[in-house]
Amino acid sequence: MPIFKPAGDSAIVIIFGDEIDEGINDRVQAVAKSIEEKAPSWLIEVVPTYTSLYIYYDPLKASYSEVLQGVRSLLPAKIKKGKKKIVEIPVAYGDEFGPDIEYVAHHNSLSVEEVIEIHSKPLYRVYMLGFLPGFAYLGGMDGRISTPRLENPRTRVPAGSVGIAGMQTGWYAIESPGGWRLIGRTPLKTFEVKKPNPSIVAPGDYVRFVPIDEKKFWEIYGRKWGKDD
Amino acid sequence: MIELLEVPAPTTIQDLGRYGFQKFGVPVSGVMDDFSARIANYLVGNEDNAPLLEFVLRGPTLKFHTSTIFAVAGDCNIKLNGERIDSWKSYRAEKDDILEVGELNSGVYGYIAFAGGVACTPILGSCSTYLRGGFGRALRRGDMLKLNAPSIPKEGLYLPPELIPRYSGHKEIRVILGPQKENFTRRGIETFLNSYYTLTPHWDRMGYRLDGPPIEHSKKGADIITDAIPAGSIQVPSSGKPIVMLADRQTTGGYAKIAVIARVDLAKMAQTRVGERIKFKAIEVEEAQALLRRREGNLRGIKEYLVGRARAYRIRVSGEEFLVFVKMLDSE
Repeated sequence: MPIFKPAGDSAIVIIFGDEIDEGINDRVQAVAKSIEEKAPSWLIEVVPTYTSLYIYYDPLKASYSEVLQGVRSLLPAKIKKGKKKIVEIPVAYGDEFGPDIEYVAHHNSLSVEEVIEIHSKPLYRVYMLGFLPGFAYLGGMDGRISTPRLENPRTRVPAGSVGIAGMQTGWYAIESPGGWRLIGRTPLKTFEVKKPNPSIVAPGDYVRFVPIDEKKFWEIYGRKWGKDD
Repeated sequence: MIELLEVPAPTTIQDLGRYGFQKFGVPVSGVMDDFSARIANYLVGNEDNAPLLEFVLRGPTLKFHTSTIFAVAGDCNIKLNGERIDSWKSYRAEKDDILEVGELNSGVYGYIAFAGGVACTPILGSCSTYLRGGFGRALRRGDMLKLNAPSIPKEGLYLPPELIPRYSGHKEIRVILGPQKENFTRRGIETFLNSYYTLTPHWDRMGYRLDGPPIEHSKKGADIITDAIPAGSIQVPSSGKPIVMLADRQTTGGYAKIAVIARVDLAKMAQTRVGERIKFKAIEVEEAQALLRRREGNLRGIKEYLVGRARAYRIRVSGEEFLVFVKMLDSE
């Protein structure tokens, strides 16, 4: 049974479990979707995370107990698993795109080619987004390429950079400082504020990294970033 | 248009925040002190959410290229063409007038509102500046601000002095414990609620680091599986020193949250200065919501009064003085 708790006076959190697990996260996503679809008048927004769902509400429209009751009644009876949405992210690995790939290879006694193969093989699950705009927390990285963060984070990491931090992998959706080991870069704009759905991925989606060469990178990059639309 | 002649301290355009995109990692942002910002907007006849200027510790110097009504919210000295004027009061500025907003004597954030609001192109539905994400930017000397057309500009409106918020001195900040109360020992929670905490020099729109007796974690420890961060969340990393998460906070994080500040006290927290002491007090969620409803009722009363739909009277009952807003029935 999920646990319900207040998180301050304007949010309620539903906790579905205490480990990172696809089944638990499926339930988080399903309840998030169900509440968004029903859009009760007090709803501000939902934030699905690994194991819990935060529901932000307007306490001037409904009290905690009213929202609690509302949320319980909105819980779907059965968790329907929707069709897997797979988003392909083209990545140019190594060289100027991924300056740390040799370190990652060396750290794990692998060749650069093996790192690319291992990284681009799995279907990664988007458990949640957070931290920075468009930043996706992915699950499913192969432990053979796990590498600790940089001791001194870079002050500027270009948007689209793909990196590894411990057992995690992901990409920087916007330019920011960062301490992940960079292994490649995607030419896609993964976060665009002018779109109604600003992020290329949503919580619950799946991601596959598709290796591309330098030529392809600049070709797509020119198309996506060339004109300011 | 309004020209920024001097910008001695960070000044940004803000509204009440960007909602609906936290699930994509987009922080809420918005004004740090919603009470002061909303009053500033009411004073110039604006709605609550109209974009306005937020400055940190010291205000900018502006030149008006059009006549407009403006108001400043904050405890500071203000000069219009060299003459002292009051904050929490609306004035008319004529073309070529110069407004100098000085240093805040207390509090951290001040606001300048203009009739109609500052014109801006919203990003994801909001004009709030979010510097880390590159949503808007800090204003600079020479910037020209456009204003939206005002509705019914009136000047000389002022906030009754007893309603002006006072932000100096020690503060009691009310919190709702949790959602990760179980990551702390009973002793840790007692320490948190019975000690004074002081704001350190590590503060910005994202969060405030506090210093004071370290808060003891339970066996579950300081790290949690990353989850969401509501406004006013008090995270306690393994150092045991609390961090209060404010307007530009990241949407999610991995430190245990011992408590979340009641919304009625968020502005008070944001207006705390380095070295000032804070004491936290736990209340139930129901009480926090009742306090919020009461505050919103008061704000509605103030708004009705300022736009002329209600009158204010001071009445004495059994030796106690009250400020009462009376709405005229025939005005609706």
